[in-house]
Amino acid sequence: MPGGKPLAEPCDVIYIYDGSFEGFLCCVHESVYSRELPQSIVPEGELEPTLFGQRRIETDSEKARKVYASIPAKISKEALGLVRNIFLSCLKDKELATLRFLLKGYRIGAGIMQMLGEADVAVLLKAERHVMHESHLLKGFIRFSDYDGFLAAAITPKNFVLPFIASHFIERFSGEKFMIYDKAHQAALVYRDRKYEIIRPEHIEFPQASETEEKYRELWKRFYDTIAIDARYNPKCRMSHMPKRYWENMTEVKELLKQ
Amino acid sequence: MDIMQKLTILADGAKYDAACTSSGVGRAGGQGIGNTAAGGICHSFSADGRCISLLKVLMTNYCVYDCKYCPNRSGSDVPRTAFTPQELADLTIEFYRRNYIEGLFLSSGILKTPDYTTEQMIKALEFLRYKHNFWGYIHAKTIPGTSPDLVYRMGLLADRISVNIELPSEASLQKLAPNKTKQSILAPMAQIAGGVESGKELVRYKNAPRFAAAGQATQMIIGASPESDYQIIRLASGLYRRYSLRRVFYSAYIPAVEDTLLPSVDTKPPLLREHRLYQADFLMRQYHFDPEEILSEEMPNFNPYLDPKCNWAINNIERFPIDVNRAPHEELLRVPGIGPTSAGRIVTARKTGSLGLAELKRIGVVLKRAKYFIIAKDQPAGLRAGKESTVRALIDPGVFSFGTEQMSLFGPAGGRLALPGAKDVSSIAEAAEEAVLCLAANL
Ligand code: SF4
Repeated sequence: MPGGKPLAEPCDVIYIYDGSFEGFLCCVHESVYSRELPQSIVPEGELEPTLFGQRRIETDSEKARKVYASIPAKISKEALGLVRNIFLSCLKDKELATLRFLLKGYRIGAGIMQMLGEADVAVLLKAERHVMHESHLLKGFIRFSDYDGFLAAAITPKNFVLPFIASHFIERFSGEKFMIYDKAHQAALVYRDRKYEIIRPEHIEFPQASETEEKYRELWKRFYDTIAIDARYNPKCRMSHMPKRYWENMTEVKELLKQ
Repeated sequence: MDIMQKLTILADGAKYDAACTSSGVGRAGGQGIGNTAAGGICHSFSADGRCISLLKVLMTNYCVYDCKYCPNRSGSDVPRTAFTPQELADLTIEFYRRNYIEGLFLSSGILKTPDYTTEQMIKALEFLRYKHNFWGYIHAKTIPGTSPDLVYRMGLLADRISVNIELPSEASLQKLAPNKTKQSILAPMAQIAGGVESGKELVRYKNAPRFAAAGQATQMIIGASPESDYQIIRLASGLYRRYSLRRVFYSAYIPAVEDTLLPSVDTKPPLLREHRLYQADFLMRQYHFDPEEILSEEMPNFNPYLDPKCNWAINNIERFPIDVNRAPHEELLRVPGIGPTSAGRIVTARKTGSLGLAELKRIGVVLKRAKYFIIAKDQPAGLRAGKESTVRALIDPGVFSFGTEQMSLFGPAGGRLALPGAKDVSSIAEAAEEAVLCLAANL
């Protein structure tokens, strides 16, 4: 990135990019070189009708590489980690928020990561905590079913959590074959023969559960119902720790949703 | 009896045990199945809002002892059963593979003798560790009266091991758990503490079994006996010091048994009191409070309306306001609305510039409470608010959700402050307002 005064002026244009991380980095490149702060940065296909002018930013891996390298060089490694994590988050307008952070970071340097009270920094850190928190919750809430020795689970998270939970499950179930299917983002973590990949399937249909599988589900439900103490019944507390949006994929509470 | 029935009986018998955490040790996975996460993981939350992390069951609910408060005491007429070691190991593994649980929490009634029962438990754990090659979390509870070498063997198999202190005083123990003695509880506790400590020092070769790497814990029943809150937290503080305990758990007594020595069966469990005990315990472990700073002989019970930290702050109001841009970390921790996380963030963020209220808010400080106690960039003299508004901001909004029956515990006779019982007033808002006036008047 060029030094000097990369102060970007707000302008009336919307950047459209291909939705990839590389594509986003090219938007950063565009903003820095034309010294402008766009109204917004939107993946193609997600643009809503607007009065602002649009500019298509082509993905160019050389530009992307330069921007990528500039972040640890001009700011810090931590800043690069933050930016990568935010790109997987569900933060609204994450592209513009990240761009604002980077523009400020290029000016300030590594110290920006300590400016926890700055709005442009705090927004990203909060979104990153959300990603980490949801990943942490799902390490517990994921439910596998055993299909003839192959373990499979479905999730519907708000953030793209698969990269954050992969190593946990791979370590834990290193000798197993398993898949975690993220229905919300149409992606799946597949692990077998001690190798893993994240694939992008159209749709995955789970097979019928076997009798043994059903038996363990019933045992688990029974344990779940038995372990609660009636005199302490506190559905509000349960809900605040285990928000309802996770229940659809959880064996023991799925049916409670229907009531 | 089939496994479904066994599980039902043996989970039901274990459900009053408060400890379910799987934290305290991080261990990487290896050739077998499983690892442990240092921070602990909750896999579900039951209808009472408690975390489910471990398969919490009894090895058996047969029991030769006769603890008055226990549904499984020898004199009680309930269906009895026991897992075989293999059944339990298989169930644990199948639950673990499906990610239902983080591991096993095993305790037991006493079948034949403490040693016989412990041997059964050890067999189950050996099945898990060696046959299934299971390296997930195991918390095992020792039985008072078990011989030291069996306690030791159990400690090598488990990540955490605990001895329940059961009741907060020796007198209550004698009265309500006549087969257990203070000695039979404290001896294994001391043994475990010694084992854990020496395990830390030993230079060990790879894969050497490590004695209860996640340390030991204990739990006590609250509300079945007459001890004050002050007695309880002093006991806890002493246990932390003497036996290097990782955690003390408090379990609100839930009357399951009719006995003249116990509160009547329609007594509501003291959930608010239990909640305050956990808050005080947290202050001792994480904020370096002494029990004497939290309660005293003159004020031996918790204030129902204020959490212990806020209670401390309004009783030490002359120490405030403190300057968030200068105060050392341990002073920041004493401000209501600033927790360990936000205190750490303040220390980092103030290096880059002076902090005002807006910055503090973004950092995660609960300004609603904190603003009365701090000096910040745009509040250089602190906030000069009346006693009443300060107290109003500190009143624990959760207090009324515990139900009104709790209040009588702390009624005029109990505490220094003559607090209104919520049942005397028609609405919660009124009760809160009355509490504000009452607390402010005492400042
Ligand atoms: S030892 Fe006491 S508390 Fe434990 S199961 Fe037997 S009677 Fe119950």
